[in-house]
Amino acid sequence: MPEYSNQFKDHLAHPRNAGELAEANAVADEQNPVCGDRLRLSLMVASDRIETARYLAYGCPPTLVCGSVLTELITGKTVDEARQMTKSDLLAGVGGLPSRKQHAAALAIETLNAALDRLKVDS
Amino acid sequence: MTNRVYLDHSATTPVDPRVAAAMTRALAETYGNPSSVHGFGQQARGAVDRARREVANLIHAKPNEIVFTSGGTEANNLAIRGLCEASTAHGRHIITSAIEHPSVRGVCDAQEKHGWEITRLPVYENGIVRIDDLNAAVRPDTVLVTLMWANNEIGTIQPIREVGALIREKRAAGQRNLWFHTDAVQAAGRLAINVDDVGCDLLSISAHKLYAPKGVGALYVRRGVRLAVQNVGGHQERERRAGTENVPAIVAFGEAARLAREEITTRVAHDAALRDRFEQRVKELIRDVVMNGDRERRLSHLSNISFRFIEGEGLLINLDLEGVAVSTGSACSSGTLEPSPVIRALGVNDELARGSIRFSFGKDNSDADVNYVVAVLSRAVERLRALSPLTLVGHN
Repeated sequence: MPEYSNQFKDHLAHPRNAGELAEANAVADEQNPVCGDRLRLSLMVASDRIETARYLAYGCPPTLVCGSVLTELITGKTVDEARQMTKSDLLAGVGGLPSRKQHAAALAIETLNAALDRLKVDS
Repeated sequence: MTNRVYLDHSATTPVDPRVAAAMTRALAETYGNPSSVHGFGQQARGAVDRARREVANLIHAKPNEIVFTSGGTEANNLAIRGLCEASTAHGRHIITSAIEHPSVRGVCDAQEKHGWEITRLPVYENGIVRIDDLNAAVRPDTVLVTLMWANNEIGTIQPIREVGALIREKRAAGQRNLWFHTDAVQAAGRLAINVDDVGCDLLSISAHKLYAPKGVGALYVRRGVRLAVQNVGGHQERERRAGTENVPAIVAFGEAARLAREEITTRVAHDAALRDRFEQRVKELIRDVVMNGDRERRLSHLSNISFRFIEGEGLLINLDLEGVAVSTGSACSSGTLEPSPVIRALGVNDELARGSIRFSFGKDNSDADVNYVVAVLSRAVERLRALSPLTLVGHN
């Protein structure tokens, strides 16, 4: 597996924040329509800050790892800070991906933005 | 230290130490050019001829019907392209199957671009072609039937003997320019092969599936079959494949063929015992699995299993992290999914096709390997399923 970084392998073997959040107030379930990879993100946002993030993923290893790394990167961030996350930030977080696998990072960022768009704020 | 277990013998096999010893001797001592008339050359010629006899013996052919190539892919290219180019006066139709190795599928696709018509026979849920379909597909302008002896992903064994009998029947009825090629790369050394019993005209084999090194293979060409030469520029291989012979690799191939012939019964029993125990343990420990391909008519060393709710590449890499080498026919590249065409041809859905893994055993695997792989596999499947949104009730 020479094309993947050590942090990639670590996240693959030991996924962080896997699962769902019953109390989530921002949820998105996005799919790459071409390859079928799927990412489901559940966020608990309080006082404009992401307190907890959980993910589920189906697809090739980069999709699984991008979900895991994304939840670590966004936990503790404000909604605005999370919205500024880019595919490049995530790629750096996973230690890089071969170009043919970078669609996995794009799916993760799309899922994050979709979840934040659906954020339910208590009035 | 992490355990290392190699269960990818259908991809390639480790070189048997006895084969490596024969090759090393040839590298050191047999360096003449077999085409040279002096003693050094004749020593090399003798080594190549001895290897040719061993390869011929493995498939019950005559030595002068063996053409050494660089491997199975070249043998398949030479067989199909060579036969087609020599047969255009008689027709431009090829019959093949939907589950051929890429080296046959690719050549057929290329011929199609050059105006040939290709009929790709279905294989149904058991991964085996039906003779009735083949019979119905043969046309007056059919010049070649190319069907693999055994499949490389699911191990299913095609009814090669019946195919040969049908071709002979058609020839006897007047279709004299109909030929039969079989890709026996996965079958050689794992099934008894007798080219006369089967009645094939062309048969491809590869050394590195037989515990020999990569870079050498052979095409059996029945006497009287005309092929257009693909490699020109030399008189080697009775004018059928130009280029100085790869003497050490051919010597290794000969030794591997001899060992495969002598040890086939032991090897098959050994592989089958491990494979069957592995499948039994998988069924006991892991739910939601589908065993792909016919349960009986298949190679003894191979198991192809789809694990529901997860994707094959993720499982493959999880196993690799724990030292277990397997393979998957599916690939996700540049955002485009390519589920295994072989598994798709069985009529299964994309999810099962994406979740398929091939485990292929070999003569050096042990019971301890099976125990280790089953333990690692069940943990990896559990971990990946815990991540999968497909396991969520109401979200599938």
